[in-house]
Amino acid sequence: MKEMSELDTIAAISTPPGEGGIGIIRISGAEAARIGAQILRHPSGKRITSWPERQVRLGLVLSPEGTVIDEVIYFLFKKGRSYTGEELLEIQGHGGYQNLKKILNAAIKAGARLAEPGEFTKRAFLNGRLDLVQAEAVIDLIRAKTDLAHQVALTQLRGELSAVVQELEDQLFEILVPIEAALDYPEDDIPPLVREQTANKITVICRRLEELLANADQGIILREAATVVLAGRPNVGKSSLLNRLLGEERVIVTPIPGTTRDFVAETIDLDGVPARLIDTAGLRESDDLVEKAGVERTKEIMKEANLILVVLDAGEELTPAEEEMVINSKHKPLIVLNKTDLPAVLTEEELKGKFPAAQVLSVSAKTGAGLTALKAAIREVLIGRRDFEEHPVLVTRLRHKEALEEALAYLRSVVQGLSRQQSEDLLAIDLRAALEALGRITGRAVSEEIIDRIFAQFCLGK
Amino acid sequence: MQKYFDVAVIGAGHAGCEAANAVAKMGFKTLLLTLNYNNIAFMPCNPSIGGPGKGHLIREIDALGGIIGRITDQAHIQMRALNTKKGPAVRALRAQTDKHLYQETMRKHLEKQPLIIMRQGEVTALERTKDLWRLILDTGVSYEAAAVIIATGTFLRGRVHIGSLSYSSGPQGQHPSIALAENLEAQGIKFKRFKTGTPARVRKRSIDFSKMIEQPGDWLEHGFSYWLPWQPRTPVSCWLTYTNERTHQIIRDNLHLAALYSGAITGIGTRYCPSIEGKVVNFPDKERHQVFIEPEGLNTDEMYVAGLSTSLPEAVQDEFLRTVPGLEQVEIVRPGYAIEYDVVAPEQLSTSLQLRSCPGLFTAGQINGTSGYEEAAAQGLIAGINAGRYLSGEDPFVLGRNEAYIGVLVDDLITKENNEPYRVMTSRAEYRLSLRQENADLRLTEYGYKLKLITDQEYEAFLQKKARIQEKLRFLEENYLSPNSPEAIRLQEETGVALQQKTSLQQILKMPEIKLSLLWKILDQERSPGEEDDVLENMVKYQGYLEREEKMAERLLKTEAKKIPPDFDYDAVPNLSMEAREKLVKFRPETIGQASRISGVSPADLTTLLIWMTRNNQP
Ligand SMILES: Cc1cc2nc3c(=O)[nH]c(=O)nc-3n(C[C@H](O)[C@H](O)[C@H](O)COP(=O)(O)OP(=O)(O)OC[C@H]3O[C@@H](n4cnc5c(N)ncnc54)[C@H](O)[C@@H]3O)c2cc1C
Ligand SMILES: Nc1nc2c(ncn2[C@@H]2O[C@H](COP(=O)(O)OP(=O)(O)OP(=O)(O)O)[C@@H](O)[C@H]2O)c(=O)[nH]1
Ligand SMILES: [Mg+2]
Repeated sequence: MKEMSELDTIAAISTPPGEGGIGIIRISGAEAARIGAQILRHPSGKRITSWPERQVRLGLVLSPEGTVIDEVIYFLFKKGRSYTGEELLEIQGHGGYQNLKKILNAAIKAGARLAEPGEFTKRAFLNGRLDLVQAEAVIDLIRAKTDLAHQVALTQLRGELSAVVQELEDQLFEILVPIEAALDYPEDDIPPLVREQTANKITVICRRLEELLANADQGIILREAATVVLAGRPNVGKSSLLNRLLGEERVIVTPIPGTTRDFVAETIDLDGVPARLIDTAGLRESDDLVEKAGVERTKEIMKEANLILVVLDAGEELTPAEEEMVINSKHKPLIVLNKTDLPAVLTEEELKGKFPAAQVLSVSAKTGAGLTALKAAIREVLIGRRDFEEHPVLVTRLRHKEALEEALAYLRSVVQGLSRQQSEDLLAIDLRAALEALGRITGRAVSEEIIDRIFAQFCLGK
Repeated sequence: MQKYFDVAVIGAGHAGCEAANAVAKMGFKTLLLTLNYNNIAFMPCNPSIGGPGKGHLIREIDALGGIIGRITDQAHIQMRALNTKKGPAVRALRAQTDKHLYQETMRKHLEKQPLIIMRQGEVTALERTKDLWRLILDTGVSYEAAAVIIATGTFLRGRVHIGSLSYSSGPQGQHPSIALAENLEAQGIKFKRFKTGTPARVRKRSIDFSKMIEQPGDWLEHGFSYWLPWQPRTPVSCWLTYTNERTHQIIRDNLHLAALYSGAITGIGTRYCPSIEGKVVNFPDKERHQVFIEPEGLNTDEMYVAGLSTSLPEAVQDEFLRTVPGLEQVEIVRPGYAIEYDVVAPEQLSTSLQLRSCPGLFTAGQINGTSGYEEAAAQGLIAGINAGRYLSGEDPFVLGRNEAYIGVLVDDLITKENNEPYRVMTSRAEYRLSLRQENADLRLTEYGYKLKLITDQEYEAFLQKKARIQEKLRFLEENYLSPNSPEAIRLQEETGVALQQKTSLQQILKMPEIKLSLLWKILDQERSPGEEDDVLENMVKYQGYLEREEKMAERLLKTEAKKIPPDFDYDAVPNLSMEAREKLVKFRPETIGQASRISGVSPADLTTLLIWMTRNNQP
């Protein structure tokens, strides 16, 4: 079945985290104003009943529970007048990502659907606001965050993933077609299924899919940028490290613990790999309400990160909380031992002894020592030692990754079924399902092609 | 003489008979017309009915209250179960029938229907008079009907070719139907030209069967029909032999004389029933082709030569037939021939099989571009039902692709550019495992009953069967075997499967090694009658796959629920691709689901369409 996006109203955060002081939420679709009316109020708290077009208004955003999330400005574009061509509501809130996320959640609770990447542009295209070339350029190139990502996007446009997948599809058709032909023409002479040989062929295809998938996370990182979180106790030098890595004084640094209250994100280029570095509020127990909230948000953002850098202070003893942080890290932990310019209380050797699984890097945000090695290490954890020039074919979209995973799962089931004497009709069902999944990448119509191939390959019928 | 009918059916072939039966059962006065009263339900080709896909159709028709299954059961002379080892989705029955007995049985059945008047007569014109259609016969007699079903098969401007010999004719020397074709064309109905062919018939006593491989039938416990008590006949054998290089050489040498290759035929043939000249040309590397010798009936000496359909001159047919082992002395009774005929271009049809431009005018069968008795019967049934519903002002009866092969067939007809006669195949069905032959009644009989095609008695029997299956299913769910129980020990002895813990019978049945019949044996339980155990076994064993298909079907139903207004203005929609716009205007899909299956309509086109429809507040 061909896929299509439903006509629901979509919503998304439209500014990357950390960009400037305000953040934008866009809600596009027929329901935009209705959703707006549900989540927005006049500053007085009254319901909003009129929507003068393109007039900037001040308002409050309410959570589904009715509490105020943020004070915002908003404006509505009528259908046909917006970037997407649909009714579109823009809400500008106060930058913090978590804040924007709450607003977004409120919109979703009120009936919007989370937009897929590029979906606004797609709608703009579908409504005649952009032509295809512009739309693709917007989605695939403007979003590319580094030169290497740009290269990958260009490769995609040239359809190299599609070409590789098509080749696998052809091989699958060759396996499926004789099976299908024999099912529909049991009395014609068609070579019988040789199970072992077929299983071997499919296993080879599975391997190829596994190879493609092995790079998928990296490909997606290249296209979407990785999220790297700087975490640690207050005052260990997280903000200083961010500034160093960025090469500019982006974040306020003070000797007072608990300086950073909300997180700040900046995108850096790690030798071609885009990474969104997120500086967070130091993790500690606190009575300060604002800081407490900051700590909660930090924990949340850590859940979504591709990589967490646990920053430690070389001039201080390791605390139980820090130890826990390393041990509980869901990824292979990367420990950054900062302030190594100071007399050492905590050493690299000690840490390596304590956390044999962890990688430990000694740096100094003050002198800049060890920062090149740190960048290289981050890059390596994110995308491995690979040099992407050698891997022209990359999966860079979550949608494609999911399709490949689905196909792989079906094919594994076929291999298993072949050895377990599963009947041909079921094998065919799984093979077809694998082809349908791959077809979501290549746009191939499976059913039609099977029938064409059956009659091209076999002389059937009386 | 009665002059007015609720429904008139033109053509008493496989589509027409099924249509008339359905309309009459629904309580409407029905006129059934045929060119020749001797040729009711005539089989111009193979005496065989069923097979994968086709057999499924028969079961479905039967489950809905149609007749092809019952008639086939009564007229069979051999029955085979195909694909028995290839899985539940593709298991199928195929019958060899006695053609004459088939015709006689069908005629008698229809003659018994009080609401059907069946007679000979050629319809030469249809005229719209206010709310009615007037049918004018060649003799000048005329009738009126509120709805008309045209089921004229291959007769419209039929033209037969045997080598360079070519003449206007219906199949097997019957009258062609020319006036009606011209009349319909004058009313704006668009036709295209298809062709099909048939092999020679030969005399039985001229065949040396000792050089062929016998193909005996199976003794089966059931036939096609759910309703008729099964009476198996002593199976009559068919015979298998092969062509060889000499056969192919003769055909190649004479190819220029074949109507198919000389340019005499312009109609498009089907890949599904190729001529032997087509096979030799398209598959030059194939060393031999199968030839099945099949009896045309019990009381005739005529044998059908399946696999050697041809448009070559009779002398060449004679020559190449004699190269086939066992046919060295063969005597031709009738030569093979190709036939060209008009078919309705399918984009004129709606899902009810009504012509979009002509209210109350339906078409069914080979006239719609299909090939095969089963395909014709399925459409006859649907057209009949929908003619009835048209008369009572009800919505058309449409089966989903997830519900029946009939649904797949009709949907394909109206959404696909058909460039050749269409044949049903299991590989066309996305929900193949759900659409099994043995569960057709569970899928469809409820509909059949609501449509009044299934009698109270039949329905009662159906409900009982369903209850029995439910009860056994519960039994399997609620009963367990413990590892060391005598039953578990027997299970291990029989299958090598050792239970590790207390396991429900349902879970045990899910294991690939375990058959339901074995479970019953171990438990000392009676097997269920008919195919009930098959239903049960498939439901349990393939539950995972079936649930997957169900999920897929839910998505399908969502797209089918989005209706496109019949007068939708595609030109107003920006950004539709040229190709999509053209196809959409041509096929006029009734739902977004149908639109999605039209080739050339991309997902982006669909999204565009959806957005546009919502924007303009269309439901
Ligand atoms: C030569 C030949 C070879 C074939 N080969 C194959 C094959 O290999 N495989 C396969 O699956 N199928 C084959 N078929 C197709 C199969 O026979 C048909 O699909 C099926 O019989 C069609 O059924 P129907 O009811 O549509 O039409 P038919 O069975 O053809 O019935 C048409 C009916 O319409 C009546 N009629 C026509 N015009 C008029 C009129 N003006 N007034 C009144 N009555 C009229 C006729 O008398 C007849 O009763 C072949 C058909 C032919 C002719
Ligand atoms: N000597 C030395 N001091 C450092 C280094 N890195 C940071 N500092 C100092 O440590 C103090 C805290 O630095 P920040 O970068 O604000 O620390 P933080 O982890 O962001 O702290 P919070 O935001 O409060 O959680 C500042 O006075 C920095 O100048 C380093 O490598 N060496
Ligand atoms: Mg800080």
